[in-house]
Amino acid sequence: MRMTMEEMKNEAETTSMVSMPLYAVMYPVFNELERVNLSAAQTLRAAFIKAEKENPGLTQDIIMKILEKKSVEVNFTESLLRMAADDVEEYMIERPEPEFQDLNEKARALKQILSKIPDEINDRVRFLQTIKDIASAIKELLDTVNSVFKKYQYQNRRALEHQKKEFVKYSKSFSDTLKTYFKDGKAINVFISANRLIHQTNLILQTFKTVA
Amino acid sequence: MADSGRAHAKEHFPELLLPVSLSPQTEILHYIDNAKRAHQLPGHLTQEHDAVISLSAYNIKLAWRDGEDTILRVPIHDIAAVSYVRDDASHLVVLKTAQDPGISPSQSLCAESSRGLTAGSLSESGVGPVEACCLVILAAESKVAAEELCSLLGQVFQIVYTESTIDFLDRAIFDGASTPTHHLSLHSDDSSTKVDMKESYEAEASPFSFPECAHAGGVSPLSFCMQTAPHAKTVSESELSATAAELLQDYMLTLRTKLSSQEIQQFAALLHEYRDGASVHEFCINLRQLYGDSRKFLLLGLRPFIPEKDSQHFENFLETIGVKDGRGIITDSFGRYRRAMSSTSTSTSNGNRAAGSSDDQSAPSEGDEWDRMISDISNDIEALGCSMDQDSA
Repeated sequence: MRMTMEEMKNEAETTSMVSMPLYAVMYPVFNELERVNLSAAQTLRAAFIKAEKENPGLTQDIIMKILEKKSVEVNFTESLLRMAADDVEEYMIERPEPEFQDLNEKARALKQILSKIPDEINDRVRFLQTIKDIASAIKELLDTVNSVFKKYQYQNRRALEHQKKEFVKYSKSFSDTLKTYFKDGKAINVFISANRLIHQTNLILQTFKTVA
Repeated sequence: MADSGRAHAKEHFPELLLPVSLSPQTEILHYIDNAKRAHQLPGHLTQEHDAVISLSAYNIKLAWRDGEDTILRVPIHDIAAVSYVRDDASHLVVLKTAQDPGISPSQSLCAESSRGLTAGSLSESGVGPVEACCLVILAAESKVAAEELCSLLGQVFQIVYTESTIDFLDRAIFDGASTPTHHLSLHSDDSSTKVDMKESYEAEASPFSFPECAHAGGVSPLSFCMQTAPHAKTVSESELSATAAELLQDYMLTLRTKLSSQEIQQFAALLHEYRDGASVHEFCINLRQLYGDSRKFLLLGLRPFIPEKDSQHFENFLETIGVKDGRGIITDSFGRYRRAMSSTSTSTSNGNRAAGSSDDQSAPSEGDEWDRMISDISNDIEALGCSMDQDSA
């Protein structure tokens, strides 16, 4: 099904950063539940998706309340980052051509490195190596995106280019955040920026999946 | 960025030139003892050997305490290792550095023969890899002073390495973002290229300003508008224009963050000269000089704007300065990035060639399009430079 530019923009806005906990935290939970009670899990999933669409941020609020109720003290942003590396089935491109599988692979690689930031950030040498790995992964993802652009002609190229631009913008923002971090030492901002970049990576996959 | 420290080295040994395989304490002391026996190092240190050491993010400078003539200047990126070595009452700080190209012929001969002997005996003796290097040996007045010096050097390394790493990240993003996303052909027959890009172009062509200038030192916001750039007549021309406008915008933003106002003016002047007929060779050399070693990657961003007739020379130039293949201290470590750079260079150059690979009728008009855009952007850059001068005056 081909989507218009308008529909894609709406989709992207709906799948905004604030909805990341839905797919990063709740989707794995639903996957686990499916083994116990398939019907209930699917019903819950559909309900959460609909509720989140109508009220962006609702899932995060629910999760935070559950944690509060259970007196679980976690840094939510950091935990989200650690969990965000997992593949989101809804975003994975199903086309078998090598370029698209490469795109899945490069996106996965970038997300995995970003999700390691909390483990590395306190060791300067290791963290710098992680940043170098992130740089390489970003470059490889962008190269793969460019390869797909060159090989395939799309009617909705603008949507793809827009998404690529957004990804680049958030990559630059991530770099700026790192510069600030090395001055002020506030790791939480790096986690937030990394989460945003992971979200943009997922949106690239989603856009290609929709357009391709 | 540069933090500078100042420490006093009570005593100073002139540099040695030795092959060093590993550097445990005993090996270094062994070399020093040999050097003393060979009268390459003074056996006894006096006040006349007193030196002052200055640290910055760029280099370590050694100067005589009396007279302050420079003895030695070692770039930070040439330092491989720093060690604290205790030798009886001496507290030595040893810097292992790259081989000094300015060494005397006798020392050079010594290095060559040593290296030759070592290389020749590798397979027989099973000796591990060896390398020729320089040792700069500083005698500190106390253990505390030596450790303080080591700590300062460690901080400098951290600053330099951190900045280089962030630069590497910026380069990776810039290069990935700059690569054209489609063939820049004005005569594509593919119906999918006949998309109405006008809306996108108009959205991109909004004025953009440098908000960080708005309140800095009374400098008024600077802006330039891309709307005077390509007037799209056909759909495929506006597709080219949209992409080109985007690339130019990105490049201008990057220049703004990396160059000072004076340097932007110089860049504008060089671009103007190139446009007026200066050779691409001269253009490249002057730009390389302007950007320096730490910013030579900015040359990559010019790739899409170099006319077809000059592109080969430009690509060769990038390769000679170690930008195209990702050579350099940082990129040497990242094999993966080097491979990506190579494939990108190929795909980009293919893209560029594809842009010029149409028939003769199309090549001039595409070239004219680029020429006009380069002309516009150079005028805008000149205006930007002049505005910054006026505002700061």
